[in-house]
Amino acid sequence: MAPTESVASAAETGIPNGTAALDRALADELWRGCDAAGWGLTRDEFEQILLDAGTARNFGLAEVSIATPATPKQQAAFFRGLCVADLALARACARGNERAWEHFVAVYRQPLTRAAIAITGSETLGRDLAEQLYAELYGLNMREGQRRCPLLSYRGRGSLMAWLRTTLAQRHVDHYRRTRREEPIEGFDAPAPDPPPQTPSRELSLLERSIEQAVSGRDAEDRYLLAAYYLDGQTLLGIARVLGVHEATVSRKLRRAADQIRKQILRNLECNGMSRRAAQEAMGADPRDLEVNLKKLLQNSQSEAFQEQAAS
Amino acid sequence: MTATSQHGFHPDAESLSALSEQALEGRERAEVLAHLAVCGRCRQVVALAREAADAGAVTAAAPPRKAIEPNAWWKQWRLVWVPTAVVAAFAAASISVYIEQADRHGPNIKVAEQHTTQGAAPASAPAPTEQAEAVPPASPAPAPPPAHAAKHAHPAEAEQMPAPAPPAVAAQMPPEPSAPEPGAVDQVEVARERPPLSGAEEQQAPPELTAGTIRPAYSQPASGAWEAKQKQAEQQRQAEVDTSQMRFRKFKAAPAAVHGANVAPPAGATETVTVTAAPPLETQPVALAEPAPMLEIKSSRGVSTPARPLQLPSGLAAVSIASGGHFLLAIDKAGALFLSEDQGATWERIATQWTGRAVAVRQQARDHGALRAAPAAQNGTTGRSSPDAGSAPSLTVFFELSNNKNQTWVSTDGRTWTSK
Repeated sequence: MAPTESVASAAETGIPNGTAALDRALADELWRGCDAAGWGLTRDEFEQILLDAGTARNFGLAEVSIATPATPKQQAAFFRGLCVADLALARACARGNERAWEHFVAVYRQPLTRAAIAITGSETLGRDLAEQLYAELYGLNMREGQRRCPLLSYRGRGSLMAWLRTTLAQRHVDHYRRTRREEPIEGFDAPAPDPPPQTPSRELSLLERSIEQAVSGRDAEDRYLLAAYYLDGQTLLGIARVLGVHEATVSRKLRRAADQIRKQILRNLECNGMSRRAAQEAMGADPRDLEVNLKKLLQNSQSEAFQEQAAS
Repeated sequence: MTATSQHGFHPDAESLSALSEQALEGRERAEVLAHLAVCGRCRQVVALAREAADAGAVTAAAPPRKAIEPNAWWKQWRLVWVPTAVVAAFAAASISVYIEQADRHGPNIKVAEQHTTQGAAPASAPAPTEQAEAVPPASPAPAPPPAHAAKHAHPAEAEQMPAPAPPAVAAQMPPEPSAPEPGAVDQVEVARERPPLSGAEEQQAPPELTAGTIRPAYSQPASGAWEAKQKQAEQQRQAEVDTSQMRFRKFKAAPAAVHGANVAPPAGATETVTVTAAPPLETQPVALAEPAPMLEIKSSRGVSTPARPLQLPSGLAAVSIASGGHFLLAIDKAGALFLSEDQGATWERIATQWTGRAVAVRQQARDHGALRAAPAAQNGTTGRSSPDAGSAPSLTVFFELSNNKNQTWVSTDGRTWTSK
């Protein structure tokens, strides 16, 4: 049974009123390329979905060119990078079209369950997780009297299956993090109290500061590599899949990043008044003597972009 | 909160999945990566989603597993099958190699020299080192099996072989030419199968005839003129080969058969013959009217295996080979047909004119007449070298090609194929 058809308007389906004009030839091509009509979408609704996806990303243009409308060529380049057929199916499912749901169930339900089992590592937990997400997708959750479908947040970047897997992973990680804090403390072996803080020597203080500067000065990809490999213990192959490069490239980048961090630390130490010999001797300090917590250093600092988004 | 963030801090699922699918570019990718560098939760999400994608791909690609009985008896013998299979494969390979060698050397039989009943060798003539004389059979006998004849080429075994023709036929491997005999008759080429001779014919027929190819080798007892005669005979033989190939396309001279038994020059007028064994398919009736010079028919099987492995232009091994006249056709494992007109030195790929995949090619012939050897014998020439003497059989040689659906195409030149 399909969800209720009460959600009919474009606003309810997450289709805002577009302000930019969509190229007609491009719209024709995209309309023919996906089975939007089979999912119960009209031509106008389909174009509105495209406009929504395009305007949300400014057709892939820089923010400085918001005032300038995208040319048909820019629009075509943007829409050809989207999974328009998946987008149309997701929106049709969000609208409650029965044929779209039948197709969604036939195509995605089994892979969804398999992905959930792979994520949780347990068939029982995986099936529970998949069913929970499936219920959410079906629109059983209501907010302010309206059915809320997570499929509305899918805008066609990447495949719908990848979006579903990532959503499952998010649900699982969030659930795990929530429930981990609820573990009983009975039998919990409390750690020994920290020793009284010792005043670090000047060399160690300089070294700590130099390390912080060197690590924070790396670019985003290098920091992601360092965190994923050294903190999370991910494999080179796993990191390479995420970045879309060969694992040998990841290995090479990691080695290069470590070398450059080491050189940068030496340089920072020298800039702080230490001789090169003294800086090299300081590099041989026992890491346990340092107060630098790389995990803390990396994970306590939010990236600027998402901090801004959070503040907005 | 914008569309790219969830819970105020994290990128949404679409951004993370798009990053994994390399669908983000430029600044947006850098932003997500920068967030991943500092957010263990999102790194974990991305890693779990990637592992799920890998597991899904493996599940989709893996074939369904068969239920294995826990106590299957053959599981205990699993290790025994390995050496058994190796031994069986080795035995099969050995047998195939043996059969291939037998087929390769089978058609080429050096047959004993022919002696007429006109006299014995003079005392001054050098005696042959090995010589086999077959006893004329009393009645016509069927043609010997070619492979069998090839294997029994030793003189001692020659007598045990069934005589293929009313005249005595001996097959042997003479290491040297036969003993010279003054007054020896010319050589006569006969076919493997002959119709029963009448009484007159039987009386006129030479007492001993050699099956298959009979070559004139040495006809002059004088050793001084032997070389000149040898050259002349060689030229004549070559001309005969050419003529025979043109007229008897069915009979193809094997490379080993061309080189006869002319190992040492004899002084007598003996004649050495070389037989190329042929299957019953290629037999031709021969009518012998009188003791005639031996006809020479160089015949080979319709499907002959060349002495050296075929090097097809496709680089694949040949699965079927057929030869006729100067044509050599071969089909490789991919079903491509190749034609060679120079014994495999150069190949031409034949365009596909059939449906399906060609799997076999063979030579066929339609017999429109009988071999008439008598006129050639009367003329004192070999049947092969005298195409105008009426000794040529009116054979129409053609090739048949079969595809994997048992459909057949025919061709006379190997290039143009029509459905049969």
